[in-house]
Amino acid sequence: MSQLANVLFAMTAVAYFAASLLFVAELVGRAGSWARWAPRLVALGVPLHAGHIVVWSLVLHVCPVEGIHFALNVAAMLVCFAYAVARLRYRVDVVGAFVAPQALAFLLASRFVGEVSDQPHLRSVLLPFHVASSLLGIALFTLAFAAAVAYLLQDNRLKHKKLERAERLPPVDALDRAEHRFLVAGFPLLTVGILTGTIWAREIEAGGAVTGIVRAGLAYACWALIGGVLLLRAAAGWRGRRAAVGTILGFGLAMLVLVVYLVRSLGGHA
Amino acid sequence: MIFVVGLSHRTAPVDVRERLSAGADALPEVIARLAARRELAEVMFLSTCNRVEVAALPNAAAGIDAARDAIREELARHGGVAGGAELATYLYEKRGEEAVRHIFRVAASLDSMVLGEPQILGQVKDAHDAAIAAGALKGTLGRCVSRAFLVAKRVRSETSIGAGSVSISSVAVDLAQRIFGDLRDHAVLLLGAGEMAEAAARSLGKDARALRICNRSFERAAALAAEMHAAAVPWEGLEAELVSADVVVASTASRAFVVTREMVKRAMRARKGRTLFFVDIAVPRNVDPAAHGIDNAYVFNVDDLEQEVARGMKARHAELDAAEAIVAEEVAQFHAWTRGLEVQPTVVALRSRVREVIAQELERALSGRLKHLPDGDRATLTRMVDGAVGKLLHGPTTKLKARAAEGEDARELAAAVRFLFDLQDAREPPEEGEGAAAPDEDERLAN
Repeated sequence: MSQLANVLFAMTAVAYFAASLLFVAELVGRAGSWARWAPRLVALGVPLHAGHIVVWSLVLHVCPVEGIHFALNVAAMLVCFAYAVARLRYRVDVVGAFVAPQALAFLLASRFVGEVSDQPHLRSVLLPFHVASSLLGIALFTLAFAAAVAYLLQDNRLKHKKLERAERLPPVDALDRAEHRFLVAGFPLLTVGILTGTIWAREIEAGGAVTGIVRAGLAYACWALIGGVLLLRAAAGWRGRRAAVGTILGFGLAMLVLVVYLVRSLGGHA
Repeated sequence: MIFVVGLSHRTAPVDVRERLSAGADALPEVIARLAARRELAEVMFLSTCNRVEVAALPNAAAGIDAARDAIREELARHGGVAGGAELATYLYEKRGEEAVRHIFRVAASLDSMVLGEPQILGQVKDAHDAAIAAGALKGTLGRCVSRAFLVAKRVRSETSIGAGSVSISSVAVDLAQRIFGDLRDHAVLLLGAGEMAEAAARSLGKDARALRICNRSFERAAALAAEMHAAAVPWEGLEAELVSADVVVASTASRAFVVTREMVKRAMRARKGRTLFFVDIAVPRNVDPAAHGIDNAYVFNVDDLEQEVARGMKARHAELDAAEAIVAEEVAQFHAWTRGLEVQPTVVALRSRVREVIAQELERALSGRLKHLPDGDRATLTRMVDGAVGKLLHGPTTKLKARAAEGEDARELAAAVRFLFDLQDAREPPEEGEGAAAPDEDERLAN
């Protein structure tokens, strides 16, 4: 069983690594016809990654959405899954240039950072909902972030009339639309994640700790920022560059929440 | 020997080219007249905006000069040119390998005014189909033109000769696609109703959700709109149109900005920041370039587009060497095939002579000393002798054909074979235009 988990881990890492290389090659205009394999490799990595998570959790007797130690791993897999599904509709393959290396980094980090152990005092009915919705939300914000970065790059090239470079990225309008839809899909999940997280923290009486307050503060700020981006887009026409910058800041806050969460968790506290 | 007589944008002005050109309706008549000439064994007539050419294979009895004169006569008659002398100054002529190379280059769009443009291949195909329908294409020239299609396909797939945009309107479409992706959900607004607006409308408007035309003269806008299946809007409604349009093509003769930065700012507010793309192909410019600094508004003028055209052309010219190498390789292969045809009669005669002699000897033996053999044994013996003849002749005939394909001393070898085996009836090479290829050669050429 353990060997199978290792094999699946290695195969997933190879798929994400090869995809990352191809995306980079595509961005510098050297991939040629190989470029079409990059998103396919990410999609291939998803079932391998899911298999690895399931087998590994069976080996360690830890449920992936209950334990917090799988967070990075599950988040990376969900990002890739959301990307594989979304690219069929939005044709923004280049987003994979961020998704693939990030998935690889999270996969490796989940394996080599810290020990996994069951922590019964953290268990709660809300925990699976909190972890699942937060991770799904982060997966969608990751895609929105990647689309926003690609938008800013493409917009910059068009504004400076560097048309030769602009050929390598998707149309600005498609990137803006994709970024908005990822945010719209991720925002309710973030809301559920924050609500369940707040109640869960009260249940285990961890809300009073300094890191807990910082984490909650960052999460509320992230929620307010992304909510603001969506509201201003609908009400005042904040699209394109402004929306992209807002999305990038919102994603940055979401990542900070995750980092505080992980640092705290690796220290053995909730 | 294949030859080509014709004129193109490189040798003749447009008034001469248009006199000799033949549209789809006139093509069958022209090709029928050419096919009826006894000097020509095979013939194909190609007419495009930039060239009028006749590719032909002369009838061996008439000779190539007579065939050329026949084509000149027919071209002069078709163009209504009284004397051939005036026309002769514009005509070029290519023979043999040079002609084959020319046909391949034309089909691959290496001789086109716009290098790598895709329309020429369709025009060559039309010419080929018309010639086939008239029964004017057979073995050699027909094979050459079919090969030209494959050459064009190779050039297009193995090089980037067709990549990039090389006209103002195609660059505009390309840019619009880089901003919006698909134009099907977007509206195009034309400012101005002149020739440039019309050209842009034909490129951009065909894929757009809606096409609207705004011009100072509403009548002119309405006339163009009727022609392009678009809607005309009054000049006073310009600012309101900026709110609903996604792509604006400006080409008016105004000497001042028709669209100012302030107008774009107001429009962007009203459209809640939706992307707006201006293609300003007017000189003097119609759209204030400062509008390019507004979020989600992009303004490209004629200089920007021309730079892109130059980049596209440069990229295509960079592929020229690779494309010419493919053509050279294919010409050499085709030439090898035609040289193989030269020894074909000798090969056929040799096989037939050997089989004839063996058959006579076998018949004599079977009716004399071996007449007691039952039918089954006779059949076995016949098959055995046939097989032995085939195996024995395989080596010499293959080597002879290989020598011919390589351009070596095949004629001398063929003469030696004819002398040694007394093959008097195989001296002449096959009559041009009637030489059907042997199956194995067909396969080699097709591969």
